[in-house]
Amino acid sequence: MEKTLECFKRILGKSKKENIDILIRGIFGISALISASVIIIIIIFITIKGVTPFISYNQGLGQVNIFRFLTGRVWLDGAAFSSSLYGVGFIIINTVYIALLSLMISMPIGVLTALFIAKVAPQRLSIFLRTVVELLSAIPSIVYGLFGSGVILVLVYNFAELVGIQSKGGNSVIATVLVLSLMSLPTITAISEVAIRSVGKDIELGSLALGATKTQTNFKVVLASAKSGIFASAILGVGRALGEATAVSLVAGNSKSGPSLGLFDITSTLTSTMLEGLKETTGLDYDIRFSVGIVLMIVILLTNIILNYVKRKVGSVSVK
Amino acid sequence: MDNIFSIKDLDLYYGNFQALKSISLDIDRNKVTALIGPSGCGKSTFLRCLNRMNDLIENCKIEGKIQYSQMDIQTKSFNVIELRTKVGMVFQKPNPFPMSIYDNVAYGPRCSGIKKKSELDVIVEKALKRAALYEEVSSRLKDNALGLSGGQQQRLCIARAIAMEPDVILMDEPTSALDPIATLKIEELINDLKRNYTIVIVTHNMQQAARISDKTAFFLMGELIEIDSTDKIFTQPKNKKTEDYITGRFG
Repeated sequence: MEKTLECFKRILGKSKKENIDILIRGIFGISALISASVIIIIIIFITIKGVTPFISYNQGLGQVNIFRFLTGRVWLDGAAFSSSLYGVGFIIINTVYIALLSLMISMPIGVLTALFIAKVAPQRLSIFLRTVVELLSAIPSIVYGLFGSGVILVLVYNFAELVGIQSKGGNSVIATVLVLSLMSLPTITAISEVAIRSVGKDIELGSLALGATKTQTNFKVVLASAKSGIFASAILGVGRALGEATAVSLVAGNSKSGPSLGLFDITSTLTSTMLEGLKETTGLDYDIRFSVGIVLMIVILLTNIILNYVKRKVGSVSVK
Repeated sequence: MDNIFSIKDLDLYYGNFQALKSISLDIDRNKVTALIGPSGCGKSTFLRCLNRMNDLIENCKIEGKIQYSQMDIQTKSFNVIELRTKVGMVFQKPNPFPMSIYDNVAYGPRCSGIKKKSELDVIVEKALKRAALYEEVSSRLKDNALGLSGGQQQRLCIARAIAMEPDVILMDEPTSALDPIATLKIEELINDLKRNYTIVIVTHNMQQAARISDKTAFFLMGELIEIDSTDKIFTQPKNKKTEDYITGRFG
């Protein structure tokens, strides 16, 4: 009996341990397949839904013109359910504009906070702050949205009144930018902090030994060495700003035309447009939101590609 | 012979652990002084006292007197930034900054306020030449320093220290991470440098101490056992422990 087993083993060339290896590799492979296929199914679903408005006649409303759709300065020319003249050009501009503005606020604050936590603050304070940042990033977006509509809108409204600008209850570009900055701040801080903390102590000592002050060391050497990680935090921050829907819907004002470049103008983003009225509509007006979804995915993809390109150029070092 | 450093009764504690015990010694100007001894004997700790890098270690307490050019450097009011521009340091592992070769060398001068490009150009070229690196890198000063080999990186770190025009260069096992050829180059460089600078070098390698130093100090368990001219230490040490160590009986 044992001899036959031995023989089998030799023929198969595999021991029991190796077989377990194969089995486990199979399990890993299946798990990977499941997660990958979910993404693919979602993409296919959204693409099919989102392409429909451009290729079908939409129950007699006519095809949506893709060029007009991508460059339009009005969300819907005509009434819902009686027109197919949709446009998101201005919304694309709004979205990117708002994401960049919020990054301009959250980036410097986030990176300086990270530097403070990682290098300047005494140990106890930095542990405390690190916990606060972690908690902040775990707050659901709807809470940020409520805070935005309850506090930031009021502040913006009062400020606008003070300087003599009519604002629509505070709903505005600036309110959206502030809410998004608050939301992306924890992400940017946490990731930058890890990048800064992982800068080698030896580099820091090298700088101090040359008679550089702590501040010079932190800004010229530590931040420079953590560049690539800090850039990664910016990419995630932009991702959050581009992809957030709920909180934005509560403070943007949902404009139907644009682009809105003035800080106190009401605005709308791709996500808020998708979300608004989604549950109360059907037909083309429903399907077109999936088309907006495709646009959003492409915008996010392009932004990531561009930022990654810049990251490679600026962030990492060219070792030859 | 004048002393650039004069140390009296130096005690150093990391928390409750006494790492240096009543060290007294003088360091000669424009000579190479080697500090030898087994791991954990306090030689690197002692080296770091000379440019007050121990300030950066928590719970580190220093008692005693360290005089640099007749100035007491242990006092609170002493300008430690100024001290470190005069007493440069090269570390065990080459630690160039992740920036260009030029920027690495210009870093120190820039931090101390030199902004003019023409002035920096002169400083960088001079420092690289003195560190015997200029010929190898003159055509690629804008390249990233991390692309250099380990030996070149270490010479860059020496150039970076030289750019500050220091009086003293402290070296903490500068060749222990390098191959024999790179080590040889650094040793030749040290021989050249001693005409202009005082060098204090910590080394694990006794042959290296014998080859390059004028004076050798032997440390053991936080105590200075013996200091004398290198010849004497290696041929007729006064202390039995020194003899045991250099003949390889322990350590």
